[in-house]
Amino acid sequence: MNQQVRSRRNLQRLVLTSLLLTIVVIGLGAYTRLTHAGLGCPDWPTCYGLIDVPQTSAQITAAEKAFPDRPVETAKAWNEMIHRYFAGSLGLLILGIAIYSIKLRLSKHTASQYPVILPIVILSIVTFQAALGMWTVTLKLMPIIVMAHLLGGFTTLSLLFLLYLRLNAKSMENQGANLVDWQLRKYGRYALLGISILTAQIALGGWTSSNYAAMSCVELPICQGDWLSDLSFENSFDLIPPSKDTYEFGHLAHNERVTIHVTHRIGAIITGVFLTWLALMIFIKARNHRVKSAAVALFSLLVLQIGLGISNIWFSLPLNIAVAHNLVAACLMLSLITLAYKLRQNSQESLYE
Amino acid sequence: MSKVINKSLDIAIDTNEKHFSLTHTLQNWRAYYDITKPKVVALLVLTALVGMSLSVPDGLPWQLLLPAMFGIACLSSAAAAINHIVDEKIDTIMGRTHNRPLPEGRISVESAIIFAACLALIGFVVLYSLVNPLTAFLTLAGLVGYSFIYTLYLKRATPQNITIGGLAGAIPPLLGWTAMTNEIAPNALLLVLIIFTWTPPHFWALAIHRKNDYAKVNIPMLPVTHGVSFTKTQILLYTVLLFVVCLLPYLVGMSNWLYLLGACSLNLIFIRYAWQLKFNATADTAMATFKFSIVHLMLLFIILLLDHYWLPMA
Repeated sequence: MNQQVRSRRNLQRLVLTSLLLTIVVIGLGAYTRLTHAGLGCPDWPTCYGLIDVPQTSAQITAAEKAFPDRPVETAKAWNEMIHRYFAGSLGLLILGIAIYSIKLRLSKHTASQYPVILPIVILSIVTFQAALGMWTVTLKLMPIIVMAHLLGGFTTLSLLFLLYLRLNAKSMENQGANLVDWQLRKYGRYALLGISILTAQIALGGWTSSNYAAMSCVELPICQGDWLSDLSFENSFDLIPPSKDTYEFGHLAHNERVTIHVTHRIGAIITGVFLTWLALMIFIKARNHRVKSAAVALFSLLVLQIGLGISNIWFSLPLNIAVAHNLVAACLMLSLITLAYKLRQNSQESLYE
Repeated sequence: MSKVINKSLDIAIDTNEKHFSLTHTLQNWRAYYDITKPKVVALLVLTALVGMSLSVPDGLPWQLLLPAMFGIACLSSAAAAINHIVDEKIDTIMGRTHNRPLPEGRISVESAIIFAACLALIGFVVLYSLVNPLTAFLTLAGLVGYSFIYTLYLKRATPQNITIGGLAGAIPPLLGWTAMTNEIAPNALLLVLIIFTWTPPHFWALAIHRKNDYAKVNIPMLPVTHGVSFTKTQILLYTVLLFVVCLLPYLVGMSNWLYLLGACSLNLIFIRYAWQLKFNATADTAMATFKFSIVHLMLLFIILLLDHYWLPMA
C-alpha cells in the first residue's frame, strides 16, 4: 500500500513539475516571439552550428560566414536557445511521465487504473511541437506555423493539467459520489462551449501576433478611423501565405492587419460576455464552495486578461504586458478546464441497469 | 439540508402540475432527453446502421435509410423511457441512479408514460409505412422484450436476467438488415449473436461495481446472488466466447482481414481486462472494464463498416 501511495505521489509530482515547466516554456516562447528572436538562430536544432550561442569574435566571424544573410545578434540567439533547451527538457520530462504511466498501468500491484492514453497523446503533441519549432525557423516564421506552435503549447499545457486533475481525483468511485445537482449540470456543457470559444480567441490572438497586427489598431474600443471600410477578409485569414524569403515583421497589407486585429477584439468581446455570463450563473447556482471559487477565479482572470489586452493598446505593446497577456490566456484556459472538469457529468449508462 | 428541502420543493411543485402541459414539456426538454438514454440509443442505432450497410453490397437508399434509423431510434428511446418509468422506485433508493429525472421529480410518471407512448407510436408508424411491416414488428418485439419482459420481469426474477434479456438489445443489426432486404438473413443473426454474447460481460462488469446498490433493492443480479468471484469467472469465460463468436463473420466470408485484425485486437484487450478483473482487480477495474466494453462494441461495428466498404467481399 505504501508503495502504491508513493508511486501515485511520484507521478503527481512529475506531472506538477512539468505543468510548471510548461508555463515557463510558454512564457519563454512568447518572450522569444515578442523580442523578435524567433530567427535568432537561423538553423535548427543548433544555433549557427553551435550547441550554444556564438559569443567569441572568432565564433561570430565563423557564424556570419556560414549564414551571410543573418548577422549574429547574441541576445536574440540566447532567447531562442534558452527556449529550445527548456522545451527540450520539458519533452524529456513528458517522455518520463509517459513511460512511468505505462509502467504503473502494467504493474500488477497498483490499486487504481492510471491513465495511459492521455500521457501518450501529450507525448506525441510535444514531439509535434518540436517539429513545429523547427519549421518556425526553417519556414522563416510563416504565420500559420507560429500560430500552430502557440496552440500546440497551449494544448500540451491543457492536457497536462487534465492529467493532473485526473490523477488527483481519488478514484472513479469518487467521481460518482461527486455528482453535481442537475440545475448545474447543463453549465458543464456551457463550460465546454466556453473552452471552444476561448480556443478560437487564443488562435485569433496567435494570428494577430504572428501577422504583426498587434499595433495595427491603436485606439479603443475597436479601431481608429473608418475601420469598417478598411476590413478585407479576402487574404487576411489565408492559412497558406504566398511564398516569401521571410515572414518576419509580416507580409500582409495594413488593412488586412486591421481586419485581423479587429476580429481579435470582437472575439474578445464575445469571449468576455460569454465567460462573464458563465461565471456569474455558476456562482449564483452553485452550492458547492469549490465550484463557486472556480467561478470566481475564472472571472478574476477574465478581468485581468481584458485589462492586459487594453494595456497592450494603451501603452503600445510593452514587452512585459504582452508576455503577460499570453500567460494569462493560458491561465484562463486552465481555470475554464477546472470548471468544466468539476461540472462534468458521469454519463456512463447501460441499457440493462 | 438545503438540498433536501429543495428536492421536496421540486416534488411539491411537480405534484401541483400533474397534467401534461406543453410549456412544461418544453421547459423540461432535458429531462425528457435524459430518460431516452441517448448514448445507448446512439450505439443501438450505430449497430442497426451496420446491419443495413452489410445487407446490401453497395450504397444505401436514403428513402429507406432515414426512416429506418429514425424509427429504430424512436422505439429504442421509448423502450429506454419505459425502463426509467418501471425502475422509478428502485432508482430512488439506488445511490447511482437517484438523480435520474423521474426519481428527482423533474417529470411526472404520467408525463413520461405519455412521452414514451408517443415515441413508440411515431416510431412504429414510420417503420410500418415507410420501411416495411417486418421491421416494424421486429422493432416492436424488441421494445416489448426489453421494456416488459426484461425490465419488468426477468430483471427481478433471475440472475440470468441479462443473458436472456440481452437478446432485446442485440436485435438492432437484424432490424437494420430487414429494413433493407425485408427478410431475416443468417448473416444478420450472426451480428445479433455478437452483441448477444457481448452483453453479459458488458453488464456484469457494471453489476459488480454496483453490487451493493442492487442488493439494497433486491434485484437478483449475478454478483448479488452468486458472488463477485463467480461473476468475474463468468465475465472471463464470456469474453473468450465472444472472441470465438467474433471470428464467425470472417469465417463465413462476410468480412475481410481488416475486420479479423480489428476483432482480434479488440477482443484480446477485452480478455485482458477480464483477466485483470478476475486475478488482480483494483477498485476501478470493474468500472474500467465496463467502459471499455462500450468502446469495444462501438469500434467493432465501425470496423465492420470500414471493412465492408474498403475491402468488399465478392
